Amino acid sequence: MGERTEQVITLSLPSSMQHVYLLKAVVTEILKETDFDEDTQERINLAAIEAGTNAIEELGDREDPGKPIIFRLTLTGGELTISTVDESEESTHKESETEQVITLSLPSSMRHVYLLDVVVTEILKDSDFAEEIQEQINLAAIEAGTNAIKHGNKEDPSKKAIMQFLLDEDKFTIIIEDEGEGFTRKEVADPLDPENLLKSSGRGLFLMEACMDAVTYEADGTIIKMVKYKEAAVAQ
Amino acid sequence: MQVNVRNKGSITILDIEGKIIGPDALALKSIIDQQIQTLSSEAEHGENLNLILNMERVQMMDSTGLGILVATYTTIRRNDGRVVLLNLGGNIRSLIVMAKLMTIFDCYNTEAEAIGHFL
Repeated sequence: MGERTEQVITLSLPSSMQHVYLLKAVVTEILKETDFDEDTQERINLAAIEAGTNAIEELGDREDPGKPIIFRLTLTGGELTISTVDESEESTHKESETEQVITLSLPSSMRHVYLLDVVVTEILKDSDFAEEIQEQINLAAIEAGTNAIKHGNKEDPSKKAIMQFLLDEDKFTIIIEDEGEGFTRKEVADPLDPENLLKSSGRGLFLMEACMDAVTYEADGTIIKMVKYKEAAVAQ
Repeated sequence: MQVNVRNKGSITILDIEGKIIGPDALALKSIIDQQIQTLSSEAEHGENLNLILNMERVQMMDSTGLGILVATYTTIRRNDGRVVLLNLGGNIRSLIVMAKLMTIFDCYNTEAEAIGHFL
């Protein structure tokens, strides 16, 4: 697209080696937006794994094991810079000891929607969720991301869409926050209403709610929290 | 996402491959719109506006993609043409059922059946 604006994507991961593949998956997807040839993309990918492994080894043994490792990926024109960030923030608040928290912060451009697909697929691939359920969660994440980027932030790249993915033994939670003005759920038209059936938009929230077990709207609709339970997944 | 366009007589078949999500869904819309425009200008009263969307290799579709299917249906009907869906995978079919759009679309499992719809 020849876009020269700087795009900063941050990925916050728990300090465990298995999550280095999530960094690789994100880098692979971002590289698709660049002009690098395949060989160069492969080399960048290897370098990203190396950098991720080193960061986890070096930073993972700190006094505070709950503190996440934050990778900042900066894309300027055709240039990609990967760095680790020490924002010395407090430990991520965790609901339980087993919960793994992954945070992705994106500039509001619709092309980053593909990153959500990649991240959710990578997080869930070794989980107990059936493939069909993983697809539903993936779709809900894409819908929520689209909602935040397009309708919330109006595709303003200076505004961030922040997605938190929380994987626990019994459930998977996604929290999406945008910097928009929010909305009232009740005021959004029902796409199943016969008079709306032939409309070409307005099905995003409906699909999120159909795919997940619980969807709640907080802070005037600028925060959406979605949960899928494993037991419900088994029961289906 | 990739789209291959081919013709069988007066029927245009779009073989769609990949994920119809985000900007790719919009790219699909412009490909379909272009086809509709070309076919409408070639034929009077929609006699050649017969479209088959082959979804066999579609892995995933979001609400934008679903909206594009609906927009395709309404545009084609407005131009006196017809559109059918071919080879819906389980997840795409569930999505269409969920959105109560099964009554709107004619869906077929084989290309021969889909072509038969226009004969």
